[in-house]
Amino acid sequence: MNVLDHLRQEEIYPLKIGGLDLNITNGVITLWLAAILVFVIFFYLSRRLKLIPGRGQNIIEIIILFLRDEVASQLRHGRETWLPFIIAIFFFILINNLLGLIPGMSSSTSNINVTAALALIVFAIVQIAGVVKHGLLGYLKALVPSGLPLPIAIFMFPIELVSQLAKPFSLAVRLFANMFAGHAVMLMLLSLIFLFRNYFILPLPVLGNTVVLAFEIFVCFIQAFIFTYLTTLYIATAIEGH
Amino acid sequence: MEPRMIAFLAAGLGMGGAAIGTAIGIGALAGKAMEGIARQPEAAGKIQMSMIIAIAFVEAIALYALVVSLILATK
Repeated sequence: MNVLDHLRQEEIYPLKIGGLDLNITNGVITLWLAAILVFVIFFYLSRRLKLIPGRGQNIIEIIILFLRDEVASQLRHGRETWLPFIIAIFFFILINNLLGLIPGMSSSTSNINVTAALALIVFAIVQIAGVVKHGLLGYLKALVPSGLPLPIAIFMFPIELVSQLAKPFSLAVRLFANMFAGHAVMLMLLSLIFLFRNYFILPLPVLGNTVVLAFEIFVCFIQAFIFTYLTTLYIATAIEGH
Repeated sequence: MEPRMIAFLAAGLGMGGAAIGTAIGIGALAGKAMEGIARQPEAAGKIQMSMIIAIAFVEAIALYALVVSLILATK
């Protein structure tokens, strides 16, 4: 309890609007910083697009082509419509995850509220995409796989409803727990130094922390990719039906 | 025994059991993926991508157990 308190966020500027607790904390500042960084990166890299790309444009192009070919290929029809949203989600989550690894900065995605907000956005978008495409009754009919006899279809309907609610929940918890576990492991390794009260233990936490940091960078990329891939999967399932 | 003792014990045991299940699951998954790659090295890219996605699913279940054990250990 006392150790994990270091991972909490502290208020910088208290702000209450109409009874809502809108305090500006570390996490809010990190979210704003990530949004500004994503905007600045894309704005300046699209200023002068060359046919033979330079370094920065090359990196972003590799990632965008990867997203277009691997992730958005699940959407057979509406690829150009959804691709900006997919790229935005991927880069926003990636920059948020990576900003949390800088020593001294607090992380925004290691907070369940931020990941729950992202999962709620995905949930709303998936349902609205399905309802817009099929109409409300048609969307409810498209939830159940077609071609089943009637009793099984009626039985499958609550199961499908529950799974529609469980998917954004699992998205939120997966991203939150991965990021939080990384920070917690680094914190535990460093508090070994305070526990032993001795400098001879120093190589173990420092080397261990370096290894965990390298693994955490990998996990940041993987978790951003998994979030984007599952979002695309749910949108494709909602648009095209089973 | 006080409730706090049992809560700490449950936190440790719960996460340990989840770690066992996850390790078995991911190990089986990676083994099958290696077999697939050994059989057909041209499909290595696709197999690798699907393996990573499946690993994320399996790991998410272990992380649910982690969240529960963190709640237990800090109460």
